[in-house]
Amino acid sequence: MPARPVVKRLPARRGLFAGFKGNVDAITIGLKYLVDPKRITLIYPNEYIKLDPGYRGFIVLEPKKCINCSSCARICPAAAMRMIRRMEEDPKTGKKKMKLWPVINYQRCIFCGYCVDVCPTEALYTVPYHDIVYENMAEMDWGLETFVKPPEYPTAKEGIPVKYIVDEEKGLVKVRAEEGEEE
Amino acid sequence: MSVWVYGEQKSELGLEGTITRKIEEDLYEVFIGPQHPGSGHMRIIIRIDGDIIVEADPDMGYVHRTMEKLAEGREWIKNVPLFERMAIQDACNVTVSYIIALERILDIEPPPRAKYLRTLLCEINRIAAHLYGFGIFGVFIGHSTMYMWSFADREVMVELAERLTGARLTHSYPIPGGARKDIPQDFPQAARKAVRYFRRRLEEYRKIFLDNPVTRKRLEGVGIIPKKIAAELGVVGPVARASGIKYDARLAEPYDAYDEVEFEVPVFEEGDALARAWVKFEEIKQSLRIIEQAVDWLERHPREAPIHDRFWAKSPPLWKKVFEAEGRVKLLPLMANMKLPPGRAMARSETARGEIIYYVESDGKSTPYRVRIVSPSARNAIVFKYIAPGYKVMDLPTIYGSIDYFPPEADR
Repeated sequence: MPARPVVKRLPARRGLFAGFKGNVDAITIGLKYLVDPKRITLIYPNEYIKLDPGYRGFIVLEPKKCINCSSCARICPAAAMRMIRRMEEDPKTGKKKMKLWPVINYQRCIFCGYCVDVCPTEALYTVPYHDIVYENMAEMDWGLETFVKPPEYPTAKEGIPVKYIVDEEKGLVKVRAEEGEEE
Repeated sequence: MSVWVYGEQKSELGLEGTITRKIEEDLYEVFIGPQHPGSGHMRIIIRIDGDIIVEADPDMGYVHRTMEKLAEGREWIKNVPLFERMAIQDACNVTVSYIIALERILDIEPPPRAKYLRTLLCEINRIAAHLYGFGIFGVFIGHSTMYMWSFADREVMVELAERLTGARLTHSYPIPGGARKDIPQDFPQAARKAVRYFRRRLEEYRKIFLDNPVTRKRLEGVGIIPKKIAAELGVVGPVARASGIKYDARLAEPYDAYDEVEFEVPVFEEGDALARAWVKFEEIKQSLRIIEQAVDWLERHPREAPIHDRFWAKSPPLWKKVFEAEGRVKLLPLMANMKLPPGRAMARSETARGEIIYYVESDGKSTPYRVRIVSPSARNAIVFKYIAPGYKVMDLPTIYGSIDYFPPEADR
């Protein structure tokens, strides 16, 4: 078995000046970051993070692809997605017919993305943002009219898009999103 | 043992429900929590004589959410997002053993690629959770630099997890038979950069926190749990390993890819708060090694869907198209109310705070008959009762921080 337990010892205090050396080491590190600080603070909303396309943000429906199968409502672990009934006219025959359509309640949604993954026709997709403010709770319960188009993202109109890239020297580095593309 | 109620013998008063102890005359009773910033969502009732704790009562249950009962009313896969809420920084570690238990009932084995992907996320989560623990520990003992540093550096791991799964914290990543997403193309490069960064950064952590004489004075010799006592109390995880117990769920019963990757399980014998901090520190180093190996393995092997054939072989062509384009594993609609064969299974995994055990029982329906969870923090909370007495009130935050107690996980 490759994993093995290894008994280790705590580093011993080394002689008379151990405390002195430890203090000097700690203070030196502290001073180093006082002079050259490592800041990753996001100046929100003047800046906002441009997230990757794979990010699980708000979920939007493409009604043309939807086959009204209710799979998304059945898998939703938070009962945020539910099906509503609508009387609709069949374009071919002209007869009125009852159809089921999914709607989502963002008071309950936990952004697990199960509904997107379970949809048999890829009728649901996620947009890479989730910081949208609503004035009241009722607005978060989306009807079918809201659900079929991506929500407005007001932060993107005002702020500068930034991106965090992993850097070997500094951990995370904040860059302008356009520059981050080339990474 | 005589039971006292308001200073009277319980039997004399005829009260059956309330049980309290007689408070000695010269003792102060101090309630720490449940909303004290230093105790999280948990109350510790301590009785002090002067400055010395003579009795400590961990009073758990403030954030109890009846998770085991809620699980009985939900379909199998819907329990994953629920159980993640136990420890959100450690989401993959706490749910992977539930998934392994389901796989044992279904009698399927995930493909190696899925195993490595889960292992990769587990180790990313472990580092993030240890850094979170270090941050809380640091601010408990007044070392706010450590708090700022580890929370900022935890962001690196959160960023990696976000690129891998699409969510910062509650990833809902493992599913029965596999994992939900393959690594993006630029992931190995970013992961290796992060590993190299952490190797260098940990040396600075050692200098400013662990080897700092001020911190050492606060931690050394505080909250000593001897090996024998640790075994008797049944503590797990870094707390047990700091007392010289060579126990780790990854070692005892290797799950996922842990029997293929090479790593060490650091064990210290001192058993005090400093040793517990060092165990976590050394574990971060080992997790970095595992991340490197997992990323290498994933890069060397061809990209194929990390899910068992049972959920993939008969899937429509769209499934394969989406996987090739985005690396996303689509679920079959049968996942929503999948029925498991009757049976029972137990599985365990090593979270950042210790071993978590799931006992899952199925009676052939689409919901579990019973899910029993034994979480590591619930097992470690006993340390307060038996170890804290005898130390100063000042040492309580040190003991609390060093066992890295996490109330939502213990209360479930």
